[in-house]
Amino acid sequence: MLPQQGGVGVRSELPPPTKPSLEPFFISQHTRQQLPPSPNSSPRPELTVAAEIVTDRGSLSAPCSSELTPSASSLCHRRSSIGVSSILSSVYVLKLDSEVIVGMKFFNLKLWLMIAELLLDSGKIERISGWFDTMVQYNFKKITVVPNGKDFVDIILSRTQRQTPTVVHKGYAISRLRQFYMRKVKYTQQNFHDKLSTIIDEFPRLDDIHPFYGDLLHVLYNKDHYKLALGQINTARNLIGKIAKDYVKLLKYGDSLYRCKCLKVAALGRMCTVIKRIGPSLAYLEQVRQHMARLPSIDPNTRTILICGYPNVGKSSFINKITRADVDVQPYAFTTKSLFVGHTDYKYLRYQVIDTPGILDRPFEDRNIIEMCSITALAHLRAAILFFLDVSGSCGYSIAQQAALFHSIKSLFMNKPLIIVCNKTDLQPLEGISEEDMKLVIEMKSEALKTVIGQGGEATSDDSVLLTMSTLTEEGVISVKNAACERLLNQRVEVKMKSKKINDCLNRFHVAIPKQRDQKERPPCIPQAVLEAKAKEAAEKEKRKTEKDLENANGGAGVYSMNLRKHYILANDEWKEDILPEILDGHNVYDFIDPDILQRVEELEREEGIRQAEEENGEFEIDGAELTPEQQAALAEIRKKKSLLIQQHRIKKSNAESRPTVPRKFDKDKKFTSERMGRQLSSLGLDPSLAIQRMRSRSVSRRGRKRDRSPEGADGGDSMDVDGDTPGKKQRLSRSRSRSRSVSRPPHEVVPGEGLKNSAQKIKAIKLAKKSVMKRNKQARRGEADRVIPTLKPKHLFSGKRSTGKTDRR
Amino acid sequence: MRLEKCWFCSSTVYPGHGIQFVRNDAKIYDKLLLQIFRFCRSKCHKNFKMKRNPRKVKWTKAYRRVHGKDMTQDSTFEFERKRNRPERYDRNLAENVLKAIPKIEKIRVTREERHHKNRMKGKKRKIQKEATRELEQGISLVKAPLALQKDPSLTLPQKIKVSVSQQQSEDNNAMEE
Repeated sequence: MLPQQGGVGVRSELPPPTKPSLEPFFISQHTRQQLPPSPNSSPRPELTVAAEIVTDRGSLSAPCSSELTPSASSLCHRRSSIGVSSILSSVYVLKLDSEVIVGMKFFNLKLWLMIAELLLDSGKIERISGWFDTMVQYNFKKITVVPNGKDFVDIILSRTQRQTPTVVHKGYAISRLRQFYMRKVKYTQQNFHDKLSTIIDEFPRLDDIHPFYGDLLHVLYNKDHYKLALGQINTARNLIGKIAKDYVKLLKYGDSLYRCKCLKVAALGRMCTVIKRIGPSLAYLEQVRQHMARLPSIDPNTRTILICGYPNVGKSSFINKITRADVDVQPYAFTTKSLFVGHTDYKYLRYQVIDTPGILDRPFEDRNIIEMCSITALAHLRAAILFFLDVSGSCGYSIAQQAALFHSIKSLFMNKPLIIVCNKTDLQPLEGISEEDMKLVIEMKSEALKTVIGQGGEATSDDSVLLTMSTLTEEGVISVKNAACERLLNQRVEVKMKSKKINDCLNRFHVAIPKQRDQKERPPCIPQAVLEAKAKEAAEKEKRKTEKDLENANGGAGVYSMNLRKHYILANDEWKEDILPEILDGHNVYDFIDPDILQRVEELEREEGIRQAEEENGEFEIDGAELTPEQQAALAEIRKKKSLLIQQHRIKKSNAESRPTVPRKFDKDKKFTSERMGRQLSSLGLDPSLAIQRMRSRSVSRRGRKRDRSPEGADGGDSMDVDGDTPGKKQRLSRSRSRSRSVSRPPHEVVPGEGLKNSAQKIKAIKLAKKSVMKRNKQARRGEADRVIPTLKPKHLFSGKRSTGKTDRR
Repeated sequence: MRLEKCWFCSSTVYPGHGIQFVRNDAKIYDKLLLQIFRFCRSKCHKNFKMKRNPRKVKWTKAYRRVHGKDMTQDSTFEFERKRNRPERYDRNLAENVLKAIPKIEKIRVTREERHHKNRMKGKKRKIQKEATRELEQGISLVKAPLALQKDPSLTLPQKIKVSVSQQQSEDNNAMEE
């Protein structure tokens, strides 16, 4: 009972709760606070305190103060002109007799004012309902990790060690020693306190959150256990505080380093034992936290569609079809073990679709946790309910059993739009079921109809209450979704329509309709062509075969590759399959493409013809006087001689370093012989006989000249050949021998018996040998032993006295 | 697939050959094209890396063009031009083009030959001149001046057969002793 005061107050009647905790809105004590009369408020008794808006964090912190400000009520009048400085306390949404009182809890009043203005001024009803929807989804993911007992102790103690000074000597002043240890104790206690407080604060209080979540958490984690755990943490915190206080008091009177140290050790030890004792609670809370973080984020206040039914009837397949959720679908029962959320759109609004685990027909007390999840969802969420019925019985349960389940939980369907969906009609159409089953179905339908009527809606046809579909063939799925969304939307709109506040908003609506000036009908004008085109397009879309179909028909993706040339737009369709080479004779064909290439080529050829003609005409070349063959022979001879000279010069140059310069009388090659001279002279066209005679007469040779052999004279006189020097016999032999050997092996090749490692070594050896020989060659010495001893018996060695020594051996 | 020109030696780079070089400060020229240096083989690439100027390297086409060894301007070059706009396929046009390309090539080759011939035009005379000069100057290597006096034509002298008789040698021996 809420007291009234000054015209502004709360109507005291509350709707009788039909079932415990079924009402989505809940009442808190705080609303019983008295509202000071506001100057601007008109006597609207239903309007008390404003709305509750939960921040994104999801968790409600404990309601702070309970001051209700005057502006709160005025807000509901939409004239939020009063500036309020204090923070509003928590107020909740009350539903009283179709009037909606919205409770508000706020951190930032200005923000609320802004939002309220925006929402209300937008003028659309749905936005108003969005007002309720600004209640944020619960998000348990932001709870910090709860360390286990040992880790907790480790963390805190190591932090104490790091963050407080560590060095102390017994020579310090006693006050300093006491201070040192007191600091440690206090620091440890502070840390413990902080950490435990965060744990306690961050975990949601089951009483403060939406009853859906409260019940869900109770089902999953057992409310009592949860509360106990948190309570234990709290006591631990207090205990630690007490310990610290006591020991600090003792430390104040410690008289030596050792005593202070002992006290500190004792204090820390006791604190740590406290934590060790609550170890199991910490472990439990960590488990709870991890599980909670993975709960689906369900907003209890937005548009929701709930899917329920026996296991294996096709609930998860349905949600997979209409949303992007990817729920496991398997043939065994209880595949879905928890709630799954998907989102779908209808008429530009977002709907939550919640898939529940299957429910078996059992008495309430026997239900397991998984079923309790679905029951909780059914109980607390204000949603449209889709009860799934498997008409084919392939889930393993007959229609009778399913009907029994329906009747046992129909109490949960109060005030919620209910649609009975018959799934798996591809296996068994609805018309084909037996008489008793049909009777049961009709019974269920009537029940469902009752809810429709109960909501004050018109008794529509049973289309919107009993629907058939098949998730496998996907027929009827969309219509079921649309029906559910439609009915939910209507219901919510109605509810909002009924609240007086909305009426105020309605005043702001005005659809301006131009006044009809005459009775003439003026329907919208759509040109005939457009209508025809639309019809044609629709027809074509049915008939057209896509490329994908063609591909599938011809063997699939890897086998068939589409003919890309099919849709080429060319002047002549026969050309579609033409192949044009890209390269021809070292040229790019594309570089030559030119529409008037023929013409240009003709021109070019004409030009070429002209040029050729010109060329032929002017093809005289004034030749100079040609050389006669004899002159050519002479020229050839000259050139040969020149090249010979050059060659010889080059050879001379190249081995100049190692070639000895010997006087003429020692010529090895017999270059300075009279025969040679004769030959050369005669090749020059001179008669050498005189010259030879003269030379021979002058030369002095010690040895007798050899008599010229005359066997060569058999052919009529010795004829000396002019060309080339025939080498002497010795040279001939030596050359032939060397020639026979010279080509067989390259000089750097290693012969196995030589004793050289590899060709590099051999080359080096050769080089060294040559180097050592070079000097001797220059001196024209035959070898090492080739010495020149200028005086065989030098006088100074073979005569005269010696200053020391004997002269026996000379 | 396109045949490109080697940047250094201007020979064609067939697909699968060569190496392309894009500078880090890729200068985008006025037609929004990156300048890419394409090389037909590592010889050209290495020369490029040595920063040699192809206009100074004798065996490249660039040198030959600059120094007038090869034909530079000709109407046959106008036919081959990189076209950036693709044309719609037309069979007749394609046929014409494919027939025209060898013709153009032939004409281009003949023109190149003509150019070369023109270049070599005065060579014969030059060679002859040089030959006569060499002959005049060098005849002394082959023909003694005395023989030249006797026979002033610039031809090889007659070979003189010298018979060295025994008697002569005996006489000499006697003298030597």
